[in-house]
Amino acid sequence: MHALKKNRPLRRIVLASAATVSGMVLLLSLKPHSTPDVGLAVPAPSSSSSSDTSGGSGGSATTVSKTVTGDTIQTRWGPVQVKITIKSGKLTEVTAVQYPTDNPRDQEINSFALPRLRSEALQAQSADIDTVSGATYTSDGYRQSLQSALDSARG
Amino acid sequence: MTTVYERRTAPAVAPTARRSPAGPVLALLWAGAAAVVALWWTDTGSVVGTAGWLTGAGRIAGLLCGYACAVLVGLMARVPLLERRIGSDRVARWHAMAGRYTVCLLVAHIVLILLGYAAQDRASVWHETLTVVLDYPDMLKATFGTLILFAVGITSARAARRRLSHEFWYYVHLLTYVAVFLAFFHQLTLGNELSGHTAATAAWYVLYLGVAALVLWFRVLVPLRLNLRHRLRVESVHKEAPGVYSVVVRGERLDELGARAGQFLRWRFLGEGMGWTSTPYSLSATPRQDLMRITVKALGDHSAAVALLRPGTRVWAEGPYGSLTQDRQTAQKSLLIAGGVGITPLRALFETLPGDVTLLYRARTAEDLALGGELEAIARWRGAKVLYALNGPDGRRPSLTAQSLRASFPDLAGHDVYICGPHGFARDLYEELRTAGVPDRRIHHESFEL
Repeated sequence: MHALKKNRPLRRIVLASAATVSGMVLLLSLKPHSTPDVGLAVPAPSSSSSSDTSGGSGGSATTVSKTVTGDTIQTRWGPVQVKITIKSGKLTEVTAVQYPTDNPRDQEINSFALPRLRSEALQAQSADIDTVSGATYTSDGYRQSLQSALDSARG
Repeated sequence: MTTVYERRTAPAVAPTARRSPAGPVLALLWAGAAAVVALWWTDTGSVVGTAGWLTGAGRIAGLLCGYACAVLVGLMARVPLLERRIGSDRVARWHAMAGRYTVCLLVAHIVLILLGYAAQDRASVWHETLTVVLDYPDMLKATFGTLILFAVGITSARAARRRLSHEFWYYVHLLTYVAVFLAFFHQLTLGNELSGHTAATAAWYVLYLGVAALVLWFRVLVPLRLNLRHRLRVESVHKEAPGVYSVVVRGERLDELGARAGQFLRWRFLGEGMGWTSTPYSLSATPRQDLMRITVKALGDHSAAVALLRPGTRVWAEGPYGSLTQDRQTAQKSLLIAGGVGITPLRALFETLPGDVTLLYRARTAEDLALGGELEAIARWRGAKVLYALNGPDGRRPSLTAQSLRASFPDLAGHDVYICGPHGFARDLYEELRTAGVPDRRIHHESFEL
């Protein structure tokens, strides 16, 4: 466009914003919106024919709940280990058993990183979770320990 | 009032315009933006729930904003390819446009990330904001950087800029370097696509260090070398017309500057409180080995003080910049149209431009014509034509319309038209020229109107 042509800055701004917003929405919408099924179902006791979750009587199946502790992963800042709880084939709780606490910096980072990692894991129902910005090493350790816990829960 | 002289010198060979690298440079900049988005794409598995959407959009905005900051600084690094081949004015307009866009991206990044994190943590936005700013690594620095960038954006908005002095705006703008530096670190430590990704981090460093190197080289070292080498001082000041002055500057080996007709330098006169501002003034003649000349109209404080410059005043100059040169020529015939002091670069082009050249000089009265004697001499020497468009005795403005122009130049569409003058003048003229059938690519103009 020639520099001397009467330009309409407002129209340009509106066009650029619209293009950017629709571009972003398009990109985001092209990504999968559910986390892939990783086969978390805990095998129900074979004696039971129902997957009843309300505590039954006798020897029949009760609430299928299982707690597994993952491997201890050594990270640059210290060991990371998680414990998971699986109820009815769903990951319902992740607790960090071990995490770096050597200095105030670690504590500060963990105070925001661990809750986020936990909620991400619960949402994703897998170890396929994003690194929490600012807590790269802890995130890596968390992911690996979580994966090992999930693997042993499945196997 | 027309003066026509017989042709004595034959016109030089038919010119072929040098292709402007604007297209490839823009393509490269857009490719960089695409690469940044691709970085997000490859790094993102799935977008789950409201938090996922918000955080994802916030990350794209953040990555683009980080990239745009580097581009903004790079565009203003005074790289000769940009300043001389694409044109300082055009690059400055790109910078202004990209700047507005960057501020929007910055707002989007902050709002989306905070909303996304708050949704993910099921915390209030206010609580999340405090946590992010105070607890996250490098975020205090980034917050300061953001505040500075907002200040830069606000002072550059048209409405604010009209009310602020040029110096205030300029020094706030210089803080951009500080802001970009402060904001850089959180991109590496917190950026989901950069933190822990060696290749992406390396690329980010290359981008930012590359831009820093361009700034250091072309904004600091090159001007330093120029001024140490050429040792510029004011030789004399001449009055050309009411309120119009020529400043002759003496220096060593000025032919090695490589300044061409139509170009300008940024001038800083070191003395009498004028050293704080650097102002672009066009050369009104091709430099000689020991002398060069600018012609200035006393408009603002700075240009008014130029009239009072004492011989011997030291001068700091940067340049040459500008692309209103012979390189733009596409045709055998050229028409130069000057409005008032816009005559300066055109006076230099009038002397050197190859081919058939006609100069049309618009001024209020004959008294206001600057450099008139020289123009006549050049016209006589090269056998060219000078036309004057002056107000009538009753103060009536001459009409420079498509019709009147076509009447004077039957082959108007076959001319390259160089325009220099006040913005309103140039814009009106542009419309008339377009009406008269002159294509865009033949209308050459440099404007610092953003």
